[in-house]
Amino acid sequence: MAARLAEEWFAICGGCEVTILDIGEPLLDVLKQVEIVHMPVLMDHKLFGQTGEDAEMAIPAADVGLISGGVRSDEHKKLAQEMRKKCKFLIALGSCACYGGIPALANTFSTEELLEKVYRGCVTTEKNGLPCEQIPTLTDRVYAIQEVVPVDAFLPGCPTTPEMVANALIALLEGKPLPPLANKSVCDECPTRREKKAVSILKRRFEGAEFVPGAPLTEMRCLMEQGILCHGPATRAGCGGSEGTPRCIRAYMPCEGCFGPLTEKANPMVDMMGALSSIGLDPKQIPDRAATFNRFSGAGRLRPIPAKR
Amino acid sequence: MADEFEPLIIALCCNWCSYAGADLAGVSRSQYPPSIRIVRVMCSGMVHPNLVIDALTKGADGVLMCGCHPGDCHYQEGNYKAEKRAEAIKLMLPDFGIEEERFRLEWVSAAEGARFAQVVKEFTEQVKQLGASPYKQ
Repeated sequence: MAARLAEEWFAICGGCEVTILDIGEPLLDVLKQVEIVHMPVLMDHKLFGQTGEDAEMAIPAADVGLISGGVRSDEHKKLAQEMRKKCKFLIALGSCACYGGIPALANTFSTEELLEKVYRGCVTTEKNGLPCEQIPTLTDRVYAIQEVVPVDAFLPGCPTTPEMVANALIALLEGKPLPPLANKSVCDECPTRREKKAVSILKRRFEGAEFVPGAPLTEMRCLMEQGILCHGPATRAGCGGSEGTPRCIRAYMPCEGCFGPLTEKANPMVDMMGALSSIGLDPKQIPDRAATFNRFSGAGRLRPIPAKR
Repeated sequence: MADEFEPLIIALCCNWCSYAGADLAGVSRSQYPPSIRIVRVMCSGMVHPNLVIDALTKGADGVLMCGCHPGDCHYQEGNYKAEKRAEAIKLMLPDFGIEEERFRLEWVSAAEGARFAQVVKEFTEQVKQLGASPYKQ
């Protein structure tokens, strides 16, 4: 019998759904064994019955549930609870579901400030009332799925990697435990050459790295030591998959930190500020450090910055 | 007596200079406030900002970081690293809603027992002025 799969998306761009498609050929084998019962991005399955006849929102029962995106509104919260109720195994797909992701950068401001800015505060905006009819209310901040309902497995990444999604689905279909997340940092998997001392001051974001095109990565100097802000030291490894080398490094670009912090209680800002100052870079130059270093992990970590005394 | 606020201060002292300095303060019977809890570390350069931030967000009222005088480090340049990290820590404290004055970096050599007592006295007074940490329940 085919395994039943339900998928729901909340505050997200949709990139993680594209990642499922990106699995490529192995997806064909997986799809043979899977029956998709609910997936707003693919199929027209209404929450209150196909003609709106039901009073309660309902998602069909499923063996595996995937949720992408963080919780931003009451509707998301209710849907997350419904998914938890109906799915035997719930997976948080992508960094938004795992740690809040990019939408959680909004946690640096209060909801009132955000609404004021979007609907009234901009110079080019016609001052209007706030939308209030037949729309779900915003939550006070962006929540990761785990802060709302218990989650069985996490697949971080922005977007997450096709290999990870495929491995997770295949493992579930075979009734095996999911491969665990890596317990080391991106730096541990990075092949670049380290000399433990920075060569220059911090560069601007798009001043490129120095490297010989085509030469192996082991000959490139560590990007952080070149003065390029790389989130490797405070980011979980695993984006490289079976190949090992982190995805961004393969493209001679610094790590963006999309796999999130190493442990649940880690504070990436403190870790990164420590890493920067220990190799001799000036941490004062980082603009908006709280948001920069929590770019993908704002749920629970970012809060409105206290006013300066 | 019971009403007076007695701060809890964590002191991170390096093994080679400051801890020996604190020891000397004790051996020479120098008087200093009992607010301090000394943690011996091998070098002030190993004190990761995490240790300081953790202490302050989990209920300590102040953190004192002590190392060898510049140029005296047992590991050549550990205390220069400590200085850089201390800058980063001071930068981050306001982000956590903690006053900068709750953290201090001091150089204390193994021969400066009296100075260690003096530093602890001053710092305790400073933290007392600030009151209890905002993270204390």
